[in-house]
Amino acid sequence: MARLERMMEPMKSHLAKLPLPSFENQPWVPGKPLAGRRISLISTAGLQRRGDRPFEGMSGDYRMIPDDIKARDLVMTHISTNFDRTGFQQDWNLVFPIDRLRELAAEGIIGSVAAYHYSFMGATDPTEMEPVARNLASLLKGDGVDGTLLVPV
Amino acid sequence: MGALAHYLEDEGIPTTQISLIREHTRIIRPPRALWVPFELGRPLGAPGNPAFQRRVLLAALELLDAPEGPLLVDFPEEVPEDAAGGDKVLEGWSCPVSFAPESREETHMERLQSAFKREIAELCPWYDLNLERQDRTAVVEFGPESARELLESFAAGETMVIPKTNLSLATALRLAAQDLKSFYFEAAIARPGSASPTSGEFNRWFWQETAGGRILKAVKERCLKEEDESLRKTGALLLIPLDVS
Repeated sequence: MARLERMMEPMKSHLAKLPLPSFENQPWVPGKPLAGRRISLISTAGLQRRGDRPFEGMSGDYRMIPDDIKARDLVMTHISTNFDRTGFQQDWNLVFPIDRLRELAAEGIIGSVAAYHYSFMGATDPTEMEPVARNLASLLKGDGVDGTLLVPV
Repeated sequence: MGALAHYLEDEGIPTTQISLIREHTRIIRPPRALWVPFELGRPLGAPGNPAFQRRVLLAALELLDAPEGPLLVDFPEEVPEDAAGGDKVLEGWSCPVSFAPESREETHMERLQSAFKREIAELCPWYDLNLERQDRTAVVEFGPESARELLESFAAGETMVIPKTNLSLATALRLAAQDLKSFYFEAAIARPGSASPTSGEFNRWFWQETAGGRILKAVKERCLKEEDESLRKTGALLLIPLDVS
């Protein structure tokens, strides 16, 4: 379980000692009801299209995942070996819940599913990630996205 | 993860997120976060359980309707018992593959290589069957034979020719190790009588009972002795989980 107090050493100390950013401001963007929003998934599981470049390090780079991707074409090249991958092997929705998101769109619970989703390598230094994230925001706006779900691994 | 949410929100994109480590999220304070009590690697909780995944997804998305924040909300459900995570007691699942006995007239490394080759050969038909049925594999770059050739050659101390010109040796070893584990898992679950193991059960089997696991430990040992920094880092951190000795 991802409860830090129940984790075994040395993983517990490794996670407890990770350097974390803290921010002075707390941005908050209000928006319309969920039923009108266009949602994009942003994963930090090191997901990529099969055939795209594997993740090689923590440089803040990301991979684009088109909405019509098939399960057989989405693979994971996150560099860490300290989390479970067997669940993703059994069901991609465990990490990339695209089928669930499509169902919510079909039922009108969310407005729509974005045309593009994105994946980063988790545990990347925020200073590396910041300029990339700020540029990504303009791509999301270009896709009409007004709600993102960030999914860690 | 939380920092990414902060930057996107700061640029005008509303964000909500799943949190796996509450302590981290409390410090970073992203705009909206749903903490879930699930194993690392399983943010939606339970594979093959769409109803449970939907409840997690909705709980995270509904935070977008909140009037103000930052918000850190706890998901109220534990993962269902039949999809429990990796730190439960490791019993009740063992791979039914019975590997052929090793020859006694070989060196330690030769015996290990022979056992490794036999494992791959015995698991291959089951891996192929699983791929045919599921139309999906987590293997990315190295099929079982090419992973075997790269990993056992490196473990045996041979001079390496990088098999893929666009990958460094360190990256190739890491991807081959990951692909090897994916191959073992997908082969093991295809065998008749095999229920899917928990992550802990699979890890115990792979790292303690297979020649593949022993080969990866030998790859790690050689990496740690190399001059190349990327190989030493790969050996120290990226081949074997921290909790595997």
